[in-house]
Amino acid sequence: MNSQSSRNETAATAVNGSDSAAASRDHKSGGGVLKRLKSRRNQVDRRPVTEEELRALGRDITPDEVLGLRAVARDYLCKLEDNIYNIDFTRFKIRDLETGTVLFEIAKPPHCDLDEEDDENRDADTSAGRFVRYQFTPAFLKLRTVGATVEFTVGDQPVTNFRMIERHYFQDRLLKSFDFDFGFCIPNSRNTCEHIYEFPQLPEDLIRLMIEHPYETRSDSFYFVDNKLIMHNKADYAYNGGQ
Amino acid sequence: MGLLSILRKLKSTPDQEVRILLLGLDNGGKTTLLKQLASEDITHITPTQGFNIKSVQSQGFKLNVWDIGGQRKIRPYWRNYFENTDVLIYVIDSADRKRFEETGQELAELLDEEKLSGVPVLVFANKQDLLTAAPASEIAEGLNLHTIRDRVWQIQSCSALTGEGVQDGMNWVCKSVNAKRK
Repeated sequence: MNSQSSRNETAATAVNGSDSAAASRDHKSGGGVLKRLKSRRNQVDRRPVTEEELRALGRDITPDEVLGLRAVARDYLCKLEDNIYNIDFTRFKIRDLETGTVLFEIAKPPHCDLDEEDDENRDADTSAGRFVRYQFTPAFLKLRTVGATVEFTVGDQPVTNFRMIERHYFQDRLLKSFDFDFGFCIPNSRNTCEHIYEFPQLPEDLIRLMIEHPYETRSDSFYFVDNKLIMHNKADYAYNGGQ
Repeated sequence: MGLLSILRKLKSTPDQEVRILLLGLDNGGKTTLLKQLASEDITHITPTQGFNIKSVQSQGFKLNVWDIGGQRKIRPYWRNYFENTDVLIYVIDSADRKRFEETGQELAELLDEEKLSGVPVLVFANKQDLLTAAPASEIAEGLNLHTIRDRVWQIQSCSALTGEGVQDGMNWVCKSVNAKRK
């Protein structure tokens, strides 16, 4: 299966996160079935919100607010410098659990910091380091069980209440929303998280459209610390590889 | 038994989550065990400098397995991961006899933690593929496991490398979670 990435391969956003149901799902943190049961199906839908409304708030954006988005964000909802914790995504991998095949893997070389010259140019390209483009073959959409791994490092401060919300769209139709609470992250740590999930069974006509319209499948990955948006990565996907 | 099989054995209802916490000294085999459970390549494993999570989702059910690094400098951070744990799996290098006392002390401290009170404990006596590995019975005696009265516990011989004994241990995990939920 062919896959390639372009435009800053180090911005590893978790493709096809998990959680087959979408917008109406409420947030679930990292566990504890006996002590904390949450029935997300009983929760009401988030109040729909537009990107413009969020931008106009003039304050930190919260998880509840991005869960109200009904379309992929056209621009980034926070600045690069909002990542004061130096959280850095260093590796991303997708594998097919049925066969054990690694379908896609990108890794950032160690000590791959931007040099001063790049630093000056960062303002010009606001997507630097936080956009990735993926290309897969049509067979990808037929997979049954997938594991998507992200690896990230943390700076020299402990991080509390680290949470990821990822939303995948095709032509502004929400395909799935994924929400994971990492909680505490150890300072100077290197961490991995693999989401293993059964690939949602998409209707044939939708699969055909997704293949015929490369890069119109898009995702936003929002990262929060203490309920404040600190990172926003974007990705787009083509499923017509080799055609 | 893979993680999806484990999830299906857990008698949870949709929108419930099960959280398993893997702890133990560095080089005990926690990450190898996690990767073995996830049917992942185990040939290149480096010391865990933070955590490794496998989050498995199927038909509304969710299983989160957390493997936290065991190096001495990381152990003070373990307490940040105790909350809402359904089962503690404590992994021991059965061939590293010089550290039995150290691993016993760490386990004793974990069993005293309020946030882990009553949480079932599975001790994996790992690395049984090595000729120098102590048997599970000897480790159980050395750790005074028979004195544990405030929770269910089990010790299981295993080799995370070959997979031997892992399924038996995970069957016990499923039973203990299901029993606690009744």
